[in-house]
Amino acid sequence: MRLLSLDRRIIYILVLLAVGVPLLFRVPLPVKVGVETRKVHSAIDNIPHGSYVMLSFDIEASSLPEVKPLAEATVRHCFQRDLRIIGLALFSEGAAIGYNLLVQVADEMGKVYGSDYIYLGFRPQYVSAILGMGESIEDVFPLDYLNNDWREYPGYASLGNYDDVALVISIADGSLPTYWVEYAGSRYNQKIAACLTAAMTTSYYPYTVSGQLVGMVSGLKGAAEYETMLGYSGGGHRGMLSQSSGHALIILLVIVANVAELRKRK
Amino acid sequence: MMTTRKISFVICFAAGIFGLVQYFSPHPAISSVYRSLLDWVQIIFAFALLVGALSVLRMHAGKVMKRDRHWVYSAVAVASLIAMTAAGFAGGADRGSLFAWLFDNVQVPMQSTVFALLAFFVASAAYRGFRMRNLEAGILLVTALLIMLARIPIGELATDWLPRSADWVLNVPSMSAKRALLIGIGLGSVTTALRVILGIERSAIGG
Amino acid sequence: MTDLATIVALALTLCILSFLYRENPFYRFAEYLLVGVSVGYSTVVICRNSIYPLVIERISSSGDILVLIPAALGLLMFARLKRSWSGLSRLPLALMIGFGAGVSIPAMLQARVLKQVSSSMQSLATLDGIVIVVGVISTMSYFYFSRKQEGLNGRLAKLGTYFLMVFFGATFGFTVMSRISLLIGRLEFILRDAFGLVS
Repeated sequence: MRLLSLDRRIIYILVLLAVGVPLLFRVPLPVKVGVETRKVHSAIDNIPHGSYVMLSFDIEASSLPEVKPLAEATVRHCFQRDLRIIGLALFSEGAAIGYNLLVQVADEMGKVYGSDYIYLGFRPQYVSAILGMGESIEDVFPLDYLNNDWREYPGYASLGNYDDVALVISIADGSLPTYWVEYAGSRYNQKIAACLTAAMTTSYYPYTVSGQLVGMVSGLKGAAEYETMLGYSGGGHRGMLSQSSGHALIILLVIVANVAELRKRK
Repeated sequence: MMTTRKISFVICFAAGIFGLVQYFSPHPAISSVYRSLLDWVQIIFAFALLVGALSVLRMHAGKVMKRDRHWVYSAVAVASLIAMTAAGFAGGADRGSLFAWLFDNVQVPMQSTVFALLAFFVASAAYRGFRMRNLEAGILLVTALLIMLARIPIGELATDWLPRSADWVLNVPSMSAKRALLIGIGLGSVTTALRVILGIERSAIGG
Repeated sequence: MTDLATIVALALTLCILSFLYRENPFYRFAEYLLVGVSVGYSTVVICRNSIYPLVIERISSSGDILVLIPAALGLLMFARLKRSWSGLSRLPLALMIGFGAGVSIPAMLQARVLKQVSSSMQSLATLDGIVIVVGVISTMSYFYFSRKQEGLNGRLAKLGTYFLMVFFGATFGFTVMSRISLLIGRLEFILRDAFGLVS
């Protein structure tokens, strides 16, 4: 069967076309909002104005194209609700990614550093950092990302530890939300939500079902769902046609290969 | 005289027992030592990461000195490592700095493209290896196709049944398997941690 | 495509994508460049954003000389780079690993074991809950190797593999989704930011 020995480069070209060509067309696809996305949205929506929300950028540069639309939507929602953001990163690459993203969205929405958000930067050894912030955030982060004393900012002078933080949102491409649940959640009763890459989704269902995570949003589809709830069209929506055709191609390839294999066996 | 090996087991035991006991004690003295240890571990770990960086530099510099095969590429690694480090120390890390420019326009595009390559490989692998040869493989394949179809807008538009089935699969059978793995790994980790503290498992600290 | 930033990012993106044809000098150049830049990046962030505020600033501003102890232990880690001194690095390692093991025990037991078991038991009132408990027990029995997997134990373990296959299948489906999303991000950069083909 010639079909079964198809050159890999032909498959690569098909993938390139299936994902690339739909990007040239702006076809808005309606997106249904899932249960998990609603949970995260309402968790943020129910936080009183002016409360502190901690956004931990636990990601690496490799997953930025997937996570960025989702992180943007979450930051927008927090700013819309006038929540005071505490940004930080438990992966070194997340430090620059988180800072860029927060400053970019804050500039667009007219938010001010020091009163609406601060960025604490990176700490190595995430278990100690997570546990340490339960005792005192100042102990773990004496200075912010640009090495300024963040306690001098009027909006953050009263920030002590998790008791003052309404919600921690771990924006992650790996296992970091697990550590937030295990150390901040179980020891300090901190509420935690997760914004994840799609590949990590199945790993976190036990935590959402048990209530250890208040909810999770995952992947580009999750970003599109969140954008729908916020009423704007961003990177998540832009990618949905390509995402659909990419999936359709892989489903088709699997079916064709299985049919060819069956015919060969007969 | 005690060797570093013996001293390290004593330190490991004491730190481990303290890490465990402090969980149950609200005593201020214990709390104070606990906070200090959390701080110390972060500082030590930061230096440990630098050891990794220095090790990479040493390896590539060695290849350049010895004119090993592909030494020119190692020279690229050494030069870019030094340039990035110099940019960060000289000009800071704020937006608009050379360091931030290099991160945004050199590191991020390359690193995310390396992972984007996996889209091609995963398609090729699915075509070549995803076969319904027995019941287990069939369950694997049907679940994967269901998720791929149900988690895109086209699938959601086609029928309401698809997203509802996918939600059930994710919340019930898939979740229960992952939960079993979590419980198993949790019990295994606790056992390993106890073995490390008691000095039965010594490989972690070079025993 | 007017600015240097886009040209550089596009050239490097194409270098990496060229690997799809076959390994070549452009790809290899980009690969080593990435290694150098990412290690350089981490070095700067660790020094400026961790060692400076946690050690240097504390000593210089508040005279907290106690931080010299962990700093000295941290410096002992460099002993790993010389074989004859590498034993010294065991001391800081022992502190980190021992303390980490100690604090992990209650956290693991509570978050991974007790909470997950209790959540399973609470769901038993429904049909889905029964499926969940059967799934958890059968999957765990698949990893129970102290007894031979035959008879009831064998059938339970076999049932566990079906639950595992559902989990792996769902994970594969989401992994495909993730990889396609990453490709969308990079192609969007090429088509929109670099060539302006999309508004």
